[in-house]
Amino acid sequence: MKHDYEIAVGPIHPSLKEPILLRLTIEGEEIVDVDVIASQNHRGIEWIGMNRNNPIQSIYLAERICGICNFCHPSNLVMAIEEIAGIEPPERAQYIRVIQGDLERIHSHLLWAGVAAHEIGFDSLLHYTWMVRERVMDVLETVNGNRVTKAIIMYGGVRRDIDEEKAKLIRKMCSYYREAFNKLAKLFLEDDTIKKRTREIGILKYEDALKLATAGPTTRASGVKKDVRQDFPYFAYPDFDIHAITPDELLGYTVGDVYDRIVVRLLEVKQSIEIIEEALDNMPSGDILAEKKLVKLMAKIKGSEGEAVARYEAPRGEDIHYVMLKQGYEPLYSWKVRAPTYINILSWRPMLLGYQIADIPIIAASIDPCISCTNRFAVVKDGEEKIINADYFHRLSIQKTRRLMK
Amino acid sequence: MNIDEARQKFEEAGYETWITERMAGVRNKVARKTLWIRIPKEKFREAMQFFKDMADQYPHFSIISCTDFGSNVELNYHFALGYGGRLEEFVITFKVSLPKNDLKIDSIADIFPAVIYSEREIREMMGIDVINIPDDRHMFLTKDFPSGVYPWRRDETGVKETNKLYERWKDEA
Repeated sequence: MKHDYEIAVGPIHPSLKEPILLRLTIEGEEIVDVDVIASQNHRGIEWIGMNRNNPIQSIYLAERICGICNFCHPSNLVMAIEEIAGIEPPERAQYIRVIQGDLERIHSHLLWAGVAAHEIGFDSLLHYTWMVRERVMDVLETVNGNRVTKAIIMYGGVRRDIDEEKAKLIRKMCSYYREAFNKLAKLFLEDDTIKKRTREIGILKYEDALKLATAGPTTRASGVKKDVRQDFPYFAYPDFDIHAITPDELLGYTVGDVYDRIVVRLLEVKQSIEIIEEALDNMPSGDILAEKKLVKLMAKIKGSEGEAVARYEAPRGEDIHYVMLKQGYEPLYSWKVRAPTYINILSWRPMLLGYQIADIPIIAASIDPCISCTNRFAVVKDGEEKIINADYFHRLSIQKTRRLMK
Repeated sequence: MNIDEARQKFEEAGYETWITERMAGVRNKVARKTLWIRIPKEKFREAMQFFKDMADQYPHFSIISCTDFGSNVELNYHFALGYGGRLEEFVITFKVSLPKNDLKIDSIADIFPAVIYSEREIREMMGIDVINIPDDRHMFLTKDFPSGVYPWRRDETGVKETNKLYERWKDEA
């Protein structure tokens, strides 16, 4: 006789960084149905941008949409408004934007790798990965004055230059990562336990990846050659020879499972290092900001009218903003933000179906969701609700790892 | 398929189209282009099916954006085509205008399954009735969110309560 249970993962859960609720129907250990409920916390950011803030304030607001990809959202907003108002950023600024963007990718992918290791109970690897990640955080702090919200991008350029001294520091960081990369690749890709926990787990088929419009490493791990930096010209990226990384480059074949998502992200760290080094070598000299006077800048934006779509390859995938300005109306007349996770959570369903409860944390984390953290979930059995905390859930995951190691 | 071919196909089918572009790159200057297509609301589903059939790869759906112009609401369905090559991708945006007194649009979730979250979003945020939507629950707003309040609207049905703090601050200043 079969018993169907429904369990809820979330709204707050350690493998999900923002409040979101996963309702899973379980048959024994197997997941048979998945429903995602996102209505836990809506901050009304678009509303503030459309009603309250002026466009310059909105840069800082956009920066706070997400703490991890705090460069991609303001970049999109700035790109869209530059297109509408006809502001031309100087060449040097375009290169600095590329460097900033890829520094962010390195730190975000390493952060994810650590979280992934933690989800399967490999905590020493979490600590090692995050120790390695500290290097790029230090560089971000030295270059921008801040580890997290960098406040670097501005309409018509960037706010801080990367001089020779800072460039030297970034170069040193790159060579450090070249070495660290080999060790990390060995730890993540050759470890038997990691392989057992991630190979053939949470598979997203090529067709599903296309159909569900997934973005970023999630879609590339399923073999779709899609990367906004490669496909769509923005910033100084057309100067670089960028290609979308798929797992077959390293392994010769693509499965589309969690392991492949690790492969893609690790290779992208290496790719970002190469991009940064190339950008430092070829950086043009000159100004970094087209218009220094904010009042003049504001007047120009306020007098502009039109609409534009901007896209950016964030660490998690394609980020897109739609902006409309209306003459004489100070805030943005229309603003739609779509972060990559918005579309990637659709792929949780095909990924989770047929797998076990203990696989939920690693599968959910494998798309690198940008949504906040759980501490408990409720089990409803015979109409009685029982709350199980994160420790128990995490322990289940570790137990599975230990079982496999025997 | 490049942007001009796509534009030609839609022109031949009788739709109004235009292209906007912007230069990117420093040493290798390339324009990023957006193709805009205006679709009458009666022909919306037909045009979407036409789009899916004519495209040589699976169109990448991005998002639906939505603007309130007072007497009408404009929907933009943003897609991307031409990915996988080198700097060949372009954005393709379908514009549909709906009169305020008849905010109804057909669901296209059967043609492009990825639109479902976005359709649920315009339903709750702008109060648009999406006909035949497979899932009509709230997406981002809580299930007890008051009915008849639509955060993206610019008329009397928009959000006012949340502005309290700001309004008070403005009075004091």
